[in-house]
Amino acid sequence: MGKVVGIDLGTTNSLVACVENGRPVVLRDERGDALVPSVVSIDEDGTIFVGREAQRRLLTEPSRAVYSVKRFMGRGIEDVREDAGLLPFRVSGETGGVVRIGVADREFTPPEISAFILRELKHRAEEHFRKQGEFDFEVDRAVITVPAYFNDAQRTATRDAGRLAGLEVLRIINEPTAASLAYGLDKRNRGTIAVYDLGGGTFDISILKVEDGVFQVLSTNGDTHLGGDDIDRLLVEMVLSEVGRALSGAPGGPEGSAPQTIETIRRAVIQAKWDLSDIEETEIRIEPSPAVRMGYRKRITRAEFDLLIHPLIERTLEPCRQALADAGLEPKDIDEAVLVGGSTRIPLVRRLVEELFGRKPHSELNPDEVVAIGAAVQADILISGRREMLLLDVTPLSLGIETMGGVVSKIIVRNSTIPASGREMFTTGVDNQTGVDIHVLQGERELAADCRSLAHLHLKGIPPMVAGLPRIEVRFQIDANGILSVSARELRTGVEQAVEVKPSYGLTDQEVERMLIESFEHAEADFEARLLIDARNEAESVIQATEKVLRRSETEGVASELLDPGERERIAAAISELKAAMIGTDRAAIQEKTHALNHATQHLAEATMNRTVREALAGRNIKDV
Amino acid sequence: MLECRNCGAGAPVDEHFCPQCSRLLALGRHGDYFTFLGLPRKLVIDANELERRFRDLSRKFHPDYFYNASPTERLASLERSSYLNDAYRALRNPVSRIEHLLAIEGLPSAKSDEGTAKVPPSLLEEVFALNEELDEIRELRESGTDPETLRTRLDTARAPIEAKREEHERQLQDLSARWDSQEVAPAPEKRATLDALRERLLERNYINNLLASIEREVAAVAHG
Repeated sequence: MGKVVGIDLGTTNSLVACVENGRPVVLRDERGDALVPSVVSIDEDGTIFVGREAQRRLLTEPSRAVYSVKRFMGRGIEDVREDAGLLPFRVSGETGGVVRIGVADREFTPPEISAFILRELKHRAEEHFRKQGEFDFEVDRAVITVPAYFNDAQRTATRDAGRLAGLEVLRIINEPTAASLAYGLDKRNRGTIAVYDLGGGTFDISILKVEDGVFQVLSTNGDTHLGGDDIDRLLVEMVLSEVGRALSGAPGGPEGSAPQTIETIRRAVIQAKWDLSDIEETEIRIEPSPAVRMGYRKRITRAEFDLLIHPLIERTLEPCRQALADAGLEPKDIDEAVLVGGSTRIPLVRRLVEELFGRKPHSELNPDEVVAIGAAVQADILISGRREMLLLDVTPLSLGIETMGGVVSKIIVRNSTIPASGREMFTTGVDNQTGVDIHVLQGERELAADCRSLAHLHLKGIPPMVAGLPRIEVRFQIDANGILSVSARELRTGVEQAVEVKPSYGLTDQEVERMLIESFEHAEADFEARLLIDARNEAESVIQATEKVLRRSETEGVASELLDPGERERIAAAISELKAAMIGTDRAAIQEKTHALNHATQHLAEATMNRTVREALAGRNIKDV
Repeated sequence: MLECRNCGAGAPVDEHFCPQCSRLLALGRHGDYFTFLGLPRKLVIDANELERRFRDLSRKFHPDYFYNASPTERLASLERSSYLNDAYRALRNPVSRIEHLLAIEGLPSAKSDEGTAKVPPSLLEEVFALNEELDEIRELRESGTDPETLRTRLDTARAPIEAKREEHERQLQDLSARWDSQEVAPAPEKRATLDALRERLLERNYINNLLASIEREVAAVAHG
């Protein structure tokens, strides 16, 4: 068995954490950075870049990068048109189907893009375990977090992404609940807590009761389309409208909304947004560049910023009130409020939360890292079987089926503790009917048209009987992941019914299976690509080091002292052979020529070293004297 | 009796774990939330006690703790946890608690659909008066009468219905207490209490529908 990790798969950033010696730790890169930007960039030759490198490429090759993919998970094209406008990548899809993301000539589904991010996190964790000297460092299982308000399709898409990344998804858990688990580690007290989670793309509020180590969610609410991204978009639109005006009379033509222009503006406004969490006034500053020729500068105060974003933040308050009402509580009943998500650094957000709950919210733990920590803790609970703590979560949306006249009949009501189940009886309408179709939906509205279509079920193999005689019991089961499964049985004959599930906004099992096979094929190619890059980098650094030593020996006039006759020519030949190999894609050849160059410079390296040591000793002697 | 799918031993229907091999038992056809939670079949429940049992059983059944178990036990964990959650939700609320009691005592459902069809005799007078008043208010609203007047009339119309509802809540409480005291009473007496409870629930549904129709008119007035 391999290793187990907790993953926060975020809209803007993703993180991976694990429990080591009983303590959760967030895994960082060499620079100490825990955040992996949720950005994927696909090179011309198909090489995949994820994280910081992809973020860099976003500026130079914006049309080859994909970000904020979480917003597309489990959604249809009709849901995401608004987002698609300002994004540099192509978004397409048939009405009532899975969204497709186009990068150059390739197309991906959102779970495939998310899987690239998950693979990067998996890689990071495996590097960590390898460096720890673990013999079995492979990471094969994970707990992945999702917004509490994610529906069945969005959860399933996340689980599919895990599978595509070669991870067994132990559990999908809700982000606010994960955060409460992280907070609960230090203070094992009891009470009612509200977790306010405003991230890059989603908003969640969860009300929990904590007692005897049981973290019981009483209610949850939210908006899966509200977060820091929306704030950025407001600012980008503000700048665009002004840049556009400035340009209308300027020579060189309008830059319009070219991806590069938008990306340049986006970076500048995000920096300004961050500034305004600490200081009262800052400047949105864009240096003149091909993307924004005139450049742009504008002072902005926190008051102006607050005014701009107030309507957005206000939208979080109604879900909070609804969650309180569903839990049967008043704001004064909340013992503690906890802030999660990068957007809760904004002072206006803190103020409004404090006003609502009448108390200063907690933010002791890093709001970016707390969810990943909770996921790691939950992963540890699952594999260790330790029973000190238990999460009892709820389903955020009611589950129902469409009945006569397009009205929804609810089978499992929202805020039911999961796992939860429900039953519904069906019968036939005509004699000898052997199949029944059922439309499953999620949502709170009365009419099917206003709810979220989850799937169309087709019950098959009903024993032929007079109309109305069969008694088919359909059982709906929501598991601890918040994901639905359906089974059916004809009670008169006891025959288990086959249920064909056609997800409305998800991938069928066959599609996931096919992608899995493709991803294995690509994974090999991706792995090969990574090794090739590594080999080229290694070769490049050896060439640079050699050239540097040669140059220095020239300028210092010691070349003849260090180099034997003919040695310079041999080194020069080795370098040009290596450079020739680097143009190709034969990794073995590059490695061989790198090795040859290393060999050719061995004498030079030793001679240089000796000289440096002599000089150092000589220098010390002089000083000592 | 339940049969343990692990060792084949028999177990009483209210057991959660096999007395012989101590594995989690498959759920079987359980129908009684009270027994499942280890509570007497009574309508006055200590909320803290209910919660404590819910938490304790959650710690025993939850799928989190059966991750490494056999597929049979994992399924049992999923089924028992779901059933526990359903039981907790049903018993936590006094009205759904009564509905569950009526169901396991073999009375027909008291759900709203059957209740709205015909007016309960005890409410005839109120219903008649209210419908007439609502019709009049609707006409006045459509002819543009000032909203403040309409609101006052709606408040007046609501008062007797609210009073009825409070009366019903009290009756439900009294009947619940009576049921709890009838543990050893003769069957016909117990049945009479259940019938009365069912009747009150049907009326209660009807009263709620009346209040809802008043609220709809209030909303219509507010929106002009």
